[in-house]
Amino acid sequence: MGPEKMKEIITDVLKDVDVVIGYKQGFDKLHATPCFINKAEQIEEIIWSPVCVQNLASFLPSLKAKKVGVVVKGCDSRTIVQYMQEGLIDRSKVVVVGIPCTGVVSVKKVLDKVNHQPIEDVVFEADGAILVKTPAGETKLSLADVSPDKCSTCLYPTPVVYDHLAAEPIKSVKAPEDVYKDVEEFEGKSLEERKVYWEKEFDRCIRCYACRNACPMCVCQDSCIAESRDPHWISQKSNLSEKFMFHMIHSIHLAGRCVECGECERVCPMGIPVNALKKKLNHDMKALYNYEPGVNPEDKPPMYTFSVEEKKIEEHKL
Amino acid sequence: MSEIAPKELRIVGFLCNWCSYGGADTAGVSRFRQPTDLRIIRVPCSGRVDPLFIVKALLNGADGVLVSGCHPRDCHYTDGNFYARRRLEMLKQLLPYLGIDEKRFHYTWISASEGQRWQKTVTDFTNQIHKLGPLHSTTEAHSGS
Amino acid sequence: MRVGVFICHCGSNIAGTIDVAKVAAEMRKVPGVAFATNYMYTCSEPGQDEIKEAIKREKLNRIVVAACSPRMHELTFRRTIEKAGLNRYFLEMANIREHISWIGLDKEANTNKAIESVKMAVAKAMNNKPLYSQSFKVNKRVLVIGGGVAGMQAALDCADGGLEVILVEKSPSVGGMMARLDKTFPTIDCSICILGPKMVDVAQHDKIKLYAYSEVDDIKGYVGNYQIKIKKKATYVDWVKCTGCGACMEKCPAKNSYDHFNFGVAPTRAINIPFPQAIPKKAKIDPNYCRQFVKGKCGVCAKICPTGAINYEMQDEIITEDVGAIIVASGYGLVDMDKFPEYGAGRYPDVITGIQYERLLNASGPTEGHILRPSDKTEPKTVVFVSCAGSRDKSCGIPYCSNFCCMYIAKQAILTKDHIPDSQSYVFYMDIRSPGKGYDEFTRRAQEDYGAKYVRGRVSRIYPKGKKMVVVGADTLLGTQVEVEADLVVLATAVTAAPGAPQLAEKLHISYDTFGFYVEGHPKLRPVETNTAGVYLAGCAQGPKDIPASVGQGSAAASKVQALFSKDMLESDPAVAKVNENTCVGCLKCIMTCPFGAVKEKELRGGRIVANVIETVCAGCGVCTATCPCGAIQLSHFTDNQLLAEVNTICQK
Repeated sequence: MGPEKMKEIITDVLKDVDVVIGYKQGFDKLHATPCFINKAEQIEEIIWSPVCVQNLASFLPSLKAKKVGVVVKGCDSRTIVQYMQEGLIDRSKVVVVGIPCTGVVSVKKVLDKVNHQPIEDVVFEADGAILVKTPAGETKLSLADVSPDKCSTCLYPTPVVYDHLAAEPIKSVKAPEDVYKDVEEFEGKSLEERKVYWEKEFDRCIRCYACRNACPMCVCQDSCIAESRDPHWISQKSNLSEKFMFHMIHSIHLAGRCVECGECERVCPMGIPVNALKKKLNHDMKALYNYEPGVNPEDKPPMYTFSVEEKKIEEHKL
Repeated sequence: MSEIAPKELRIVGFLCNWCSYGGADTAGVSRFRQPTDLRIIRVPCSGRVDPLFIVKALLNGADGVLVSGCHPRDCHYTDGNFYARRRLEMLKQLLPYLGIDEKRFHYTWISASEGQRWQKTVTDFTNQIHKLGPLHSTTEAHSGS
Repeated sequence: MRVGVFICHCGSNIAGTIDVAKVAAEMRKVPGVAFATNYMYTCSEPGQDEIKEAIKREKLNRIVVAACSPRMHELTFRRTIEKAGLNRYFLEMANIREHISWIGLDKEANTNKAIESVKMAVAKAMNNKPLYSQSFKVNKRVLVIGGGVAGMQAALDCADGGLEVILVEKSPSVGGMMARLDKTFPTIDCSICILGPKMVDVAQHDKIKLYAYSEVDDIKGYVGNYQIKIKKKATYVDWVKCTGCGACMEKCPAKNSYDHFNFGVAPTRAINIPFPQAIPKKAKIDPNYCRQFVKGKCGVCAKICPTGAINYEMQDEIITEDVGAIIVASGYGLVDMDKFPEYGAGRYPDVITGIQYERLLNASGPTEGHILRPSDKTEPKTVVFVSCAGSRDKSCGIPYCSNFCCMYIAKQAILTKDHIPDSQSYVFYMDIRSPGKGYDEFTRRAQEDYGAKYVRGRVSRIYPKGKKMVVVGADTLLGTQVEVEADLVVLATAVTAAPGAPQLAEKLHISYDTFGFYVEGHPKLRPVETNTAGVYLAGCAQGPKDIPASVGQGSAAASKVQALFSKDMLESDPAVAKVNENTCVGCLKCIMTCPFGAVKEKELRGGRIVANVIETVCAGCGVCTATCPCGAIQLSHFTDNQLLAEVNTICQK
């Protein structure tokens, strides 16, 4: 799947939008970076490969005033649907260039495999193998080995919403029941084990807020209650309960809204599994309301609506 | 805290003004005996209860949290408790994932006339929390708990 | 911040199980507390004066009163501090009576709990901001739901006071239960003779708009400004054209229709006027029995009607009325006889209910006032009355007393003797409850002058034996079994909430108890108010009561409405949501969840979108505040910081 078809589409799209957001190469071949195209001559910069990991849909709410074209993978496209559900974008002002995707790489996993050597070149071979060249030599990796976890259970390789598709649609070969296998597995641990696990993970948090800042569904941005005095939910103290509280704020605000793009986890400098709590919440929303974020534009996020008779909620007895 | 008798645990209750707070009043007027652990915070509606208040309490020293609102369909504000039910159920299911026993958090519906039901709820919930014991180890929690 | 704390003894109600002096002493140690004291009765005039004086003397700017429930005296103390120049929202109350002193005897634990509860109130008070009401116009029209005697009294009193009244009655005529009664106790006045003129007044009053055979479909709004949707149910008779001549009723071939007005004592016609004194006196078709509806052909009434009023195509109609207050007088129901298998569960025709017996006694009833057994239309010589059929019976789910059965049984026993001089009445009773003016004398007359035999005990079984009904019961005074062979048995079936009472309460946002009766504002001091501003109660909707009590409540509710409407403008509750436009990110999730549509989108001059609360529409529930992820929309008086201050007082890790 070359970027040629995509470039053709973008050339076309650019004629009636203010800007197209795509990927271009970053500071080395392992890193892609978002690029904002408003002139035809920039189109040549555009790339598409499994290093294109960022969720470009995240930029849409802040560009609400403009007409925007955006390149999205299947997973990213759910962000757009969720924005539509929440009225955060005007769909008529967004042109979606969808890319059916067979998986991206986790930069962290690749770097781990090559012992964090400087990257000289990365080549994606037709058979799915990845050749990573470092001063120490060439390493051949398989995409499956270095994909982020989300790719291994991806149900939406083809975008759920698009105006143009840059390649033939791909059908998911993953089993829907596997999506929340990790959640269910974790639920198998004892209460004490779970408590110890989270306390250890959250204790490592440095409250850099990168997870929040990268989250496409975090609407508050600079008005985050984690950094406010009015209301004053948490102090600046760097103890466990305050760190824990911050993650609870982020998770609960994402209840029934997280599209599982995994950006929060990707950007965490401490490697904290920040997405896990949101997956747990999604797992519950699916069970309680048969709701899956970012799939159907007509749905209403479950926390902003209700049924008079909740079929799945039973009254709790003491 | 010094005010808390050593035998007490720390239980926070969020009660809606129109039904459950009235139910607790009714229980008081009827002199229905209850354990003394519970501290009541009055809110206009169970729909006002941000689940984060409960998390905040549990992370900061509470051993149990109780939320009570009007019965479904009988909300003073029509729909407040319907939103509350979804939010509180979400939290109820999330807590054990964090390693916090879901029995430490209970939400229910009690009307202003149900003094007896209130008494039973407070008594049973307090007993349940005592069975679970303190959530926080005595060294990290405030003295006395 | 200079907080003043006032701990009330409430006589011994609080001081009996809480060391109030210690609570006050502990409060003096709390940072921010400038003054703390304890007082015998803080709500008394000298108690309130002490608060006012302390505010001036100690320059206090936040006040905490630790006393009874804020549901009881919050308004009292708000007024007190306002008189001393403080904003009324600078008051916080700690409920140390209902929630502490009355529910535990352990003085030490109570005192500790009180100290912490007052600390919570202090912490919250320190976060209290001054709030100011807005005034809004009152729509001086009142909706009365229910056209029984309580509703009619309320409607007439309001209308006589110059208010426009919308009276909604679900049955085809006003009059309610009282219109069905033959006589009233203890004067043996003819019921319809004293009620009829009131019914006519209701119909003729130029300030009363009557919607009969109508129900309240939907209620929106708040005190002063309600929008009511009224469903006018299809009568299939154009009431503008109908003259009430009754020709249709005479000729209607469907003669076996259930007679709702007569509680099925005898059948009626499918098209009928419920009773001769009905207001409005208009005919109505019961489509469950009408041949035109059941079989698709007949049309006799349409042919006979001299004014062409019959309209088989008529549909329910929704009408909108705007009002400023609502009086609920929706009445009561009666427990079904099928609750009593031991009394035949309604299978024996000669076991009837008290209200059915009223219809047999009544001159305009189906038997024209002749007491005739339903089974064979003969005059009964032995009549047994069974009181507490369901009432005071936990197994029936009705632990309460139905209030007026003892009295009407005595009346019916007297009337039985009047109608059939050689008859003998027996009354099985648990206790005789006759605590009204002239009431006890009345029950004695039934026994002493009219020879009714009163047997103290419950009836265990009723069964047929030939033409008789055998009533088996106990005489607990003699300690023996009693068997009476009766010709007719009358059960004083328990009073229940009106059918649909909970659904109506939900539309009104008022509370109802386990039995469906509506909960008054205070059991002693606010008997006709509800906890919802602008909604008042009258009659049996609030609980079983007799006619004078219902009439009294009707008038009381009307006077409450008059008082409410004595002002042109009402003050809004300022404890509503407010948006911090600096931090609002315009995600507008608050609009998605507000139950009242009180939040709207607003564009700032720079083009930025924020949420905006319409203060008079906001009811102050705080659903938006719990929705807003960035804490930009805060419910005043219950802000995140105020509640967090309370949480932090309890939980300080």
